[in-house]
Amino acid sequence: MLTDTRYQRRKRLALLAILGAAIAWIAFDALLGGSAEWARVISRLPLLLTGSGPAWSIQGGFAFNVLMGMLSMAIATLLGLLMGIALLARNAWLRRGAFMIMNFLRNSPWIVLLFAMLYLLPHRVELFGTTLSFSPFFKAVVGLSLPTAANFAEIIRGAVGSVHSGQWESARSLGYGTAQIYRQVILPQALRRMIPGWMNLYALLMIATALATVTGVQEVVTLLRTTLAMESETALVYFYLTVLLMFFLYCYPIALLARRLENRTKGDAI
Amino acid sequence: MFGLDYSWLGDPVYQRWLVDGVWVTLQLALVSSLAAVAIGLVGALGQTLRLWWLDACIELFVEIFRNTPPLLQMLFFYFTLTQIGFTVTDPVTGLQHPLLSAFVSAAISLSLFGGALCIEAFRSGLDAVPKATLEAARSLGYTRLGLFRRVQAPIAARVCLPSLTNILTNLFKTTSQASVITVPELMYAAGQVYSDTFRTLEMMLMVLLVYVTLVSLLAWALTLAERLLAYPGYGKGF
Repeated sequence: MLTDTRYQRRKRLALLAILGAAIAWIAFDALLGGSAEWARVISRLPLLLTGSGPAWSIQGGFAFNVLMGMLSMAIATLLGLLMGIALLARNAWLRRGAFMIMNFLRNSPWIVLLFAMLYLLPHRVELFGTTLSFSPFFKAVVGLSLPTAANFAEIIRGAVGSVHSGQWESARSLGYGTAQIYRQVILPQALRRMIPGWMNLYALLMIATALATVTGVQEVVTLLRTTLAMESETALVYFYLTVLLMFFLYCYPIALLARRLENRTKGDAI
Repeated sequence: MFGLDYSWLGDPVYQRWLVDGVWVTLQLALVSSLAAVAIGLVGALGQTLRLWWLDACIELFVEIFRNTPPLLQMLFFYFTLTQIGFTVTDPVTGLQHPLLSAFVSAAISLSLFGGALCIEAFRSGLDAVPKATLEAARSLGYTRLGLFRRVQAPIAARVCLPSLTNILTNLFKTTSQASVITVPELMYAAGQVYSDTFRTLEMMLMVLLVYVTLVSLLAWALTLAERLLAYPGYGKGF
């Protein structure tokens, strides 16, 4: 049996070896004629990343995925917070209502919600004399933020519920009021446990932004598919690998950081 | 009601399309769930062997599938498996057909995606078994296999049931993305119906309701299993 540090070191070496083998394989493939395909991918890379050929302005592409992810996350955090508070409310009807909405949103597929939002939201709204038009981008952001909000509410509920009930009882026996218990006992601990979940949720949302292709947003999957319609079939694999790598490089560090935070908060308090 | 028109739902043709769609969705969900759990078991058990090279391979697999969109994975598998990969020649017509249909590609890609999530869940379930319990069992003279079978696995299974519920419901929801690669499941059938009737909003609201009902039933069944299997002190047994 190896000691833990030696084991981890060997595992890391093995990962590096696999990575090296993958690079070597790509190089070998490039020598066998893959370089022409890679040249095609590189010439289209600005388009895939920013949505404009020369990459002078951001009109779509992966940048749109990032933007959609951030906007949806901001909305979802706000909505989820409200829903989470409602889930913890003392009023049973409020709690039940919030629970039903949360379960509905959590149990519906993202792609169906996106479609439903596409048709449910009007194209434009007259508000105080000004006309607001709802673009597919806006609808996608709304459609993505709804299930994310429900998941965030569940994270909040889980984090608050994970604080041991003995702490409630001891705080109460010390004469704390409910608001005081939340502020001084529960929330400081719950917040620490919420953050990794929140980050994981962001990574999940980022991955789900690929679904916005069904609403017609010019994000990276839409552009990939229109590009591939023009490219030869042999270039297909290279293009797909490139876009998969984009998502991986964006989401993996977030997931890694979330896990590190999670491990740090795992042991503390019961 | 609310200006929604559901009169097309009376048409037996549309009804059959939709029912067939639900049926394909259920099949896809069942096949990929079973395969995902199998992959999860093999992967998590592989990691308990503590072989550094195997561990590294499994971790790479998990991270790749967890951190890329399932939609892209599905498109990737569909195009590589059907176009570049294997084809069979029909002996009668002499035409080339892809060996793997869209359904099989979707099932493979969903199984791998779900499998990656399952490995992670099962592994953390195994990790969650308290060290003291294992040491106590060892001191009682359990062999390594007996320890795993009678102590570690039963506790770990109960610890990871809630996350398994999450994964399987998630996988069920993800089957709707198979419509993008033309698997004739519920979403695809819905698309066919509304391209006929132009009742997009009505159709989508109905599909949403059907999915929510099916996923809720699945979640309910799994939560029930959680409660029935619970040990006092672990998971729902508090």
